[in-house]
Amino acid sequence: MTFINKLKDFAVKSPWLYRINGGSCNGCDVELATTACIPRYDVERLGCQYCGSPRHADIVLITGPLTRRVLDAARRVYDEIPDPKVTVAVGVCPISGGIFRESYAVCAPIDQYFPVDVNVPGCPPRPQAIIEGVAKAIAIWRQRL
Amino acid sequence: MNFLTLFARNLWHGPYTDVFPFGPATTPEHLRARITFDPKQCEGCRLCEKVCPAGAIRFTRTPGGMTFDCWHATCVFCGTCEFYCPTKAVKQSNDWHLAHEQGEKYAQVEHGLIPNQICVECGAKALDTSPAVSHIKPPLSETEVSELRARCPKCRNKYLRSRKTS
Repeated sequence: MTFINKLKDFAVKSPWLYRINGGSCNGCDVELATTACIPRYDVERLGCQYCGSPRHADIVLITGPLTRRVLDAARRVYDEIPDPKVTVAVGVCPISGGIFRESYAVCAPIDQYFPVDVNVPGCPPRPQAIIEGVAKAIAIWRQRL
Repeated sequence: MNFLTLFARNLWHGPYTDVFPFGPATTPEHLRARITFDPKQCEGCRLCEKVCPAGAIRFTRTPGGMTFDCWHATCVFCGTCEFYCPTKAVKQSNDWHLAHEQGEKYAQVEHGLIPNQICVECGAKALDTSPAVSHIKPPLSETEVSELRARCPKCRNKYLRSRKTS
């Protein structure tokens, strides 16, 4: 068992991130790019890396209030991500709807459709807040492995 | 020559990366983040509820008085509530540590209660709100403000009218 635990500790050092844009205004996406690309914040210190394919992902970051048009596509992409996965809702839109709350065109809050684990509120959240959320997600992912 | 000074400076300066998850983060002083509410200063005008674009602020009348609730999971941190608050009872702090797990989603609320009080003059039950005194001339003294505060809205009007005539 200790060997397996050591393997898990090793695996938890490199969680790969995947972004789903659920009709976001791109504010949160810019902050996510900032978190990864600007050396000042640098989420890659935690071993995280954005990956291009959902099949490689461990932690999924969802932005945007999940518009009705994108709901189906987002669900299909989400189902392609292998278990165990941790879902992080970035920004107030996926958490509650934000200023789009109760609109006919959005399906927010997204926890009706996806099992969300960590919420990062903010409009947009600052890069350090996103790093804080990702750190929480990594802790949850370690438990699920 | 310029690159050598840059090289020397970078050697001396060390990495520019914020240490945040492993240490304290640098936070600007005027960052707009978590809302704070002081029920002692609130006038009860409910302007913040009206101007909030996300509908995050809600006042509710309860048997104990009036409650203020601001849900941070829908607040967009625009600062409009602080701008319009006449007494600065609603303020924005720079505490941005709002990331939470799903179970605590509905606990991300700034809650405050403006209690009921008994008016010292007529004995009616009224909210213990801060009196709107900023525009009154000549300005009220501190004892006058505390006397005004202990009254219900009707008796406050009466008090101010009697003050004008005397």
